[in-house]
Amino acid sequence: MNPKNKKDAAGHIADIREGFSSSGYIASKSIATAVYLAKALRKPVLVEGPPGVGKTELANATSSLLDKPLIRLQCYEGLDEAKALYEWKYGKQLLYTQVLKEKLSDLMAGAKGLRQSIERLHEFDDTFFNEEFLEPRPLLKALWADRGAILLIDEIDKSDQEFEAFLLELLQDYQISIPEIGTVKAKTTPVVFLTSNNTREIGDALKRRCIHLYIPFPDSKLEQRIIESRVPDLETSLRLQLVTFVQNLRELDLKKVPAVSETIDWARTLVLLHIKELDTELVRSTLNVLLKFQDDIENVDAELSSLTRKAIKAA
Amino acid sequence: MTQILSDFILALRAADVRVSTAESIDAAATLDVIGFEQRDVVKEALSQVLAKTDEDKTRFRQCFDRFFAFEHVEGTLSESNNPIESVSKNADNSGEDKSELGYIGTPTDKGLLSALGDADAGALQQAIATAARNVRLPNIRIFTQRGMYIRRMLEDMGIDEVDDKIFELARSEKTYGKELQQLREAKARLFELVSEVVDRQMLLYTANAWPQLREEILHKTPLARIEARDFKIMQELVYKLAKRLVAMHARRRRVSRRGHLDVRRTIRRNIKYDGLLFETVWKKIRIERPKVVAVCDVSGSVENVAGFLLLFLYSITEIIPKVRAFAFSSRLGEVTEMFNRLPVAEAVAQTLHDYGHGSTDYGSAMADLEQLTLEDIDHRTTVLVLGDARSNYGDPGDHALRRIHERARRVLWLNPEPKSFWNTGDSAMRKLAVACDRVEPCRSLRHLERIVGEIARTAL
Repeated sequence: MNPKNKKDAAGHIADIREGFSSSGYIASKSIATAVYLAKALRKPVLVEGPPGVGKTELANATSSLLDKPLIRLQCYEGLDEAKALYEWKYGKQLLYTQVLKEKLSDLMAGAKGLRQSIERLHEFDDTFFNEEFLEPRPLLKALWADRGAILLIDEIDKSDQEFEAFLLELLQDYQISIPEIGTVKAKTTPVVFLTSNNTREIGDALKRRCIHLYIPFPDSKLEQRIIESRVPDLETSLRLQLVTFVQNLRELDLKKVPAVSETIDWARTLVLLHIKELDTELVRSTLNVLLKFQDDIENVDAELSSLTRKAIKAA
Repeated sequence: MTQILSDFILALRAADVRVSTAESIDAAATLDVIGFEQRDVVKEALSQVLAKTDEDKTRFRQCFDRFFAFEHVEGTLSESNNPIESVSKNADNSGEDKSELGYIGTPTDKGLLSALGDADAGALQQAIATAARNVRLPNIRIFTQRGMYIRRMLEDMGIDEVDDKIFELARSEKTYGKELQQLREAKARLFELVSEVVDRQMLLYTANAWPQLREEILHKTPLARIEARDFKIMQELVYKLAKRLVAMHARRRRVSRRGHLDVRRTIRRNIKYDGLLFETVWKKIRIERPKVVAVCDVSGSVENVAGFLLLFLYSITEIIPKVRAFAFSSRLGEVTEMFNRLPVAEAVAQTLHDYGHGSTDYGSAMADLEQLTLEDIDHRTTVLVLGDARSNYGDPGDHALRRIHERARRVLWLNPEPKSFWNTGDSAMRKLAVACDRVEPCRSLRHLERIVGEIARTAL
C-alpha cells in the first residue's frame, strides 16, 4: 500500500476530468474513475452503453490526454487473427523469392544431392519469417508501440466468440504468441478500451478481466456542458431549450432514441440556421437530424407542440 | 479492512451479483489504489470492478448503500462524518481490543457495565461490532435465526454480568434505586441496538435468499404440482431458460458458418501470386435450417400441466426459427401463427380455450397431424410430441405416427407422467413408443432444460 498514492486518488480523478474537458470531452465522475483505475491497475476497460454516448470518443479523448497514439481495431463478424494481430507479407516474400531465384542457384552450387541442398536452405529459412516480413495489425502495433498506446477495440460484441477468447491472453498479460517468432510482450502497457453495444452478451471470462464502465445517457446538466463545449456558438437559452427537448424526447417510446451525438448535430444545425428560439414548425422540419426512423418521426409528430412548449418553458 | 471487504462481497453475492474470486482480488487492489477517503469514489470504483452488467450495477448500488449505512457513532467517535471511515476505525480498534484483552473478543464485565453506565455510545458500538464479528453474524440466513443471533451477541458482550448486577441491585433496592433504573433502561437500549444491527444484517444477507430458494425448489417440483400462484415465477423461469438456450443456439449457428474450400475462387484470386495458393476462399455453405413440428396435448387428462407444456411449446417457437406448433385434445389444429402474434400469456390462454379440456383422442389427432404435416416432413424435421399417451382406450394413432416417423429425421415424445405410470390404465405409451426415436419423462423444469438443450443442439 502506498499512502501517498491513496491521498492523491481523488485528486488524480479530478485532474483527469479537467484534462478531458480541456480537450472538449465532458466526462462524468464515473468515466474519470474508470480511466484512473485502468491506469493504476493496468487493466482494460469494457465500456458499455447505448450507441452515441461517446464510448469511442472516450478513447480518442484519452489518447489526446495522455498524448499517446490511438490504435483502433474495428470488430466485425469473421474478424480473425490475420486481420487483428499480424499477417506475413506474402506478396513481399514472393517478390523476394522471385528476385533471389538466380541467387538460389549460386547458393546451391556445389551441393550434392537433395539432402545437402535442403540443409543449405535450412541455413536461410528464417530469413523469410522475421519481423521484416511481418505486417503488424492493430493488436501487435499496440504492443510494439515504444511509448505505449491507447488501444481501442471497438464493438467487441460484433466479433465472434472465438475472437473474444483469443483476446484473453492479450488482455490478461499484455502479450501474444506468434508461432514463428515467439512471445511478444508489450514494451509499455497500453491502455485498452473495449466497447460494446450489447448486441450479444459478452463472455464472463472477458468481463472478469476488465473494469466495467457503463455510460448511460447524460443527465440534463451534463448534456448542456457537452453541448457548450462542442457547439460554443449556441446561445445559452436555446441550449437549455434544446437539451430539455431532447431529454423529454428520450422518455417517449422510440425505435431509436436520439443520442448525444445527435443532440450535437442538431445544435450545429440550429446554429447554421441562425435560430434564436425553438418553435414547432422549425422542430418539425429539422427533426430528421434527431430521429432516424420514419416511424419515430410520425409517432412523435402529434407530441411535437407540447414537447416544444415544455422546452421553451423550462428555459 | 479485508474482513469488511469480504463481508461486503458476501452481501453482494447474497444480492445476486456474481462476484468471482479474481474480481474480489481486483477489488482489494482497487481499494489499495484509491483508499477510503471519498465515499462516492469508492462506490464508483468498486462498482466498476465488481458489477459487470447493468442490472448488477443497480443491485450493487443498493447493496453498497445498505451495507455502509452504519449510522454515525454518537459520542467519542462522532467527529468523523464519513461512515466508511468510522467503520474501518471501528474495525481497527476492535482488533486492538482483542489483543489487549488477550481473550477472544469478550469485553470485561467492567467494559460493558461501565459503557452502559457512562452511556459511552462509541464504546458500545465498538463492542457490538466486535460481538457481531465473533458470532459471525454475516452467516445469518433466515429470519428464524434472528433471536438466536441477538442472544449470542448479547452473551458475547457479557450481558450475563449485567444481569447479575441488576439482580444484585434489585435485592438491595433501597440504596441503589436510581442506578438500578438506569441500568435497566441501558440494558433495554442495548437490546434495541443489537437487534437493529441483526435486522440490518439480515436484510443485507438474506433479502434475496427467499426468491433464490424458491426458484431452486420450483426447478425440481413436478409440473403438475406447481400451484397457480407460482405460475408467474414459473413463466419467468421458463423464459430465462429459453433465453439462455437462444444464446447457446446463436453461438452454435455462428460456428457452423465457416464452410468448405472454394477451389475455383481460390485459384482465381491467387492468379496474382503466380498461381501459388496464398489466399484461401471459403464456400459459405447455406445452413440447413432445422425444422421442428411440435404437438401438444391439452386435453382433460393433462389439464394441470397443459399450461406449462404450452409455455414450453411457446418458448421452443421462440428459440428455433422454423417451428410449427400444434395443439389438440381430439381435433388437432395449428397454433404457430397465433404464437407468433400473441404474447405468451394470451397465447396459452387462447390455445387452452380453443383446444383444451376435451377428452383425448390420439387416433384422430395423429390422423390430423399426418394430413396437415406429412408433406412438409422430411429428413430434416424433428417431430416433438408432448402428451401423456392416454387415449381413453381408443385408437392411439400409432400407425399414423409410424408413417410420420418413417419420413421424419426423428420423433421425440415427452411424457409429463412419471415413468412408473406409463402403460397403466388407458396409457398407450408402449404402442406409441415404437414409433418414436426417444421417449422421455418431462416432469420438471430440469427435464425441460435438458431436452430443449438437446433439441437445439442436434436440430442443427
